[in-house]
Amino acid sequence: MFKLFFYTSCIIFIFGLALQLYRFRKEDRFLNPAKKSRSGLSGVSLFLNTLFQVKLFKAGKIRWMIHFLLLVSFLYLLIVHGFYSVTANLLFADYQPTLNPFQALRNATGFLVLAGCLTLFIRRQLSLRMNKDKQIRRKGLGTVILILAVIASGFLLEASKIISEPIFMEMVEEYSDLDGEEDLDDLKLYWKDNYSVFFQKQIETSPEQIENGEALNEAYCLYCHSPIKSAAVSKPLARIITTAGSWLNSNRLDKSLYWLHYGLCLIVLICLPFSRLSHLLLIPFTSSRKYLTVEDHKNDLVSINAITLHACTNCGFCSQVCSVYPNFQVHQNPDILPHAKIESIKALLKNPSSIDLLQLNVGNDACTLCHKCTDICPSGIDLQSLWTVLDKKLAQMGMVDNSRLISEMPLSGWMSKNFNIYPKKQPNWLPTEPISTDHLTSNLADRIESFEKCIQCTVCSNVCPIVDYDSNNIDMSPHQIMNLLRLGKKHLATGTRMVWSCLTCYACQENCPQEIQVTDILLELRNEGSVKADIIQKNRLTEKADQ
Amino acid sequence: MKLAYFSGCKIPFYMKDYDLSFKVVMQQLGVELVELPFNCCGYPARNENFEIPILSSIKNLAIAQQQGLDMITPCKCCFGQFKHAQFWYKTNPELKAKVDDLLASENLTWEGQTQVKHLLSFLTHDIGLERIQKQISKKLPPKKVVVQYGCHALRPFSITGFDNPFAPKIFEQLLSLTGVQVVDWSKSTECCGNPILNDNLDLSLKILQNKFNTAKKAGAEYICTACTHCQMQYEMVKSDNTINDQNLTTLLFTQILGAALGVPLQKLSESGQLPINLFQEN
Repeated sequence: MFKLFFYTSCIIFIFGLALQLYRFRKEDRFLNPAKKSRSGLSGVSLFLNTLFQVKLFKAGKIRWMIHFLLLVSFLYLLIVHGFYSVTANLLFADYQPTLNPFQALRNATGFLVLAGCLTLFIRRQLSLRMNKDKQIRRKGLGTVILILAVIASGFLLEASKIISEPIFMEMVEEYSDLDGEEDLDDLKLYWKDNYSVFFQKQIETSPEQIENGEALNEAYCLYCHSPIKSAAVSKPLARIITTAGSWLNSNRLDKSLYWLHYGLCLIVLICLPFSRLSHLLLIPFTSSRKYLTVEDHKNDLVSINAITLHACTNCGFCSQVCSVYPNFQVHQNPDILPHAKIESIKALLKNPSSIDLLQLNVGNDACTLCHKCTDICPSGIDLQSLWTVLDKKLAQMGMVDNSRLISEMPLSGWMSKNFNIYPKKQPNWLPTEPISTDHLTSNLADRIESFEKCIQCTVCSNVCPIVDYDSNNIDMSPHQIMNLLRLGKKHLATGTRMVWSCLTCYACQENCPQEIQVTDILLELRNEGSVKADIIQKNRLTEKADQ
Repeated sequence: MKLAYFSGCKIPFYMKDYDLSFKVVMQQLGVELVELPFNCCGYPARNENFEIPILSSIKNLAIAQQQGLDMITPCKCCFGQFKHAQFWYKTNPELKAKVDDLLASENLTWEGQTQVKHLLSFLTHDIGLERIQKQISKKLPPKKVVVQYGCHALRPFSITGFDNPFAPKIFEQLLSLTGVQVVDWSKSTECCGNPILNDNLDLSLKILQNKFNTAKKAGAEYICTACTHCQMQYEMVKSDNTINDQNLTTLLFTQILGAALGVPLQKLSESGQLPINLFQEN
């Protein structure tokens, strides 16, 4: 029975693993361009990060300590306790689960895993200021709850065994050759006082009996049973449940708890390929891969192994160091932050229509490719390459940069666009109106005083490098933009190529004899055009989805 | 002297040479650099939004102020952005209130004392030409070099206060100390084209090509930059073979100054590959 369940679970686990690998391969092909350079392998990094989690150590010492204790404890429980039938004989000559140090270690490690998982759970809920997205807050919590259940059921199982009279009787029968009722009573008495067993019947006490009980214990039990106080968690727990001792013992709750504990462990095994716990396998794999070099990036030969994405544990370090965190503070687009963006990418790989492509594209465009997230990632994911690959992928899926969108759109098209056919459900980062009142502007293009002094002397246009180099393509020059503003045609101005080709070199502004902030005005127009372009893209996507 | 080193986003990964050579030059001149958990200066976000770049810059200034340090950056776009942000923060009370609120949510405040210096203005005004002159231990041969000034530090002068925007001279003055011969170049103060590299590649490279052509005509053998983005633009020749670099090599100012200060060449570049001819008589 026991073995049947175990082997079935193993087969499901292997099947699940194969299924996941197949999925990752498919994702890999979807994500990566044909021309690419693959990352090399690094055995040192694999070794150091798997055994000592050096990357996490660099990122945060306290979290490293908590995680290291959690992992070591988990592995101890798995190897020494879970697989004792295999490992015990190999590693220890005289293993007994009720002997020290095993009894004490089992309790201590169980406690550490429990405490570690609780810390993780609470931290996820409370402290991550950028975890506004509830979905991210929930990521991986199923796994945490499952592990908590395994540990809790384990402690309950041990406690129920401690107080169990039936087990006591079984053991007496098997390991002792007591002949009289009296001796049995003496031993019971000793075990009631010293090992917290709950006995149905009250037994009379006398000093001789205690002495005899101790002698019997020494003869038959002691070589397999260390003092019960070393079971630091289970013993107090046993004291609590002993109040219901007679019911627990008569119903043999220890047996039910055994199957519960064992069953939960098997569920963990079955779920492993699909849950966050798979990081145990994926992080060593991910750590073994080197980051792509700056040469690969400069030569546009960037790829990412899709498996490595799934090594993300949502720890959030990347977003804490993210260079464009202020962009998120103002813009509120969750896909600016790496730890949220990677979740959107995973959703994109599963089902492209399930996510807001524009939000992802705008979020990814904010990235300055500073490599900080990649440097800190404790899982060793080459995030910078991921963002680069994503940028290409989104372009391939039809997302265009605002400057491209506008430069490809004739001004007549821009003028006839309706910016009000707005999707009913808008994401909160997109302003509610094309002329945004949500964000402050430099407030120049709407104020007559800032451009009325223009005398159309054309100095700005004469010093403009764009007018110089791009005279064939440019539709207006800076002094004409100033004139458009004077004519009250600001909307037209936001769609001109001049506004979108501006280098922001400030030559026009510096040379203006009337001290007009020409460049700042052009930038303000571009900001406003950018919001409008976002709306055009959003409407296009909504139309496409409706068809 | 102790300063907070603002590297910006591109230097740590894309421009390690600038990081190396800047640090070693500062070390030679006895300047202690402190690296703080800065974010982006905000310059790249100026295309989409007005608030983000101001918040980004002021937050960095607040982080430097916490340590009681002034800030130095070798990037002209970062430098210009800091000046731009300070200007608008001080001019627009509504904006200031909003930025202050967001800073307060992270227990930060900025009282406005933090000074931001660019590498070139710092060397000229704080260290002084005379002192640098004294420390030059290895005068370089008089090879012909032109300088790319970098727009965002130079203009608008009323905000950046860097140098005379029409006839700047601090770059030439500093570079001349090393022994190289700085030649006049009509495009010295014109944009390198990098700001529109992503949005309009063809136009950006057209501007760059013109840079190489005119520099060659001016008689230059080398181009010298003191800005992350300018240097990245000139280095486009390495990955784009449509550009003719006219056999001109572009170097960072810190690499040339470093060599003149007697720093071994392999400490000025990660690959150790610097155009040796610039540093030797031939």
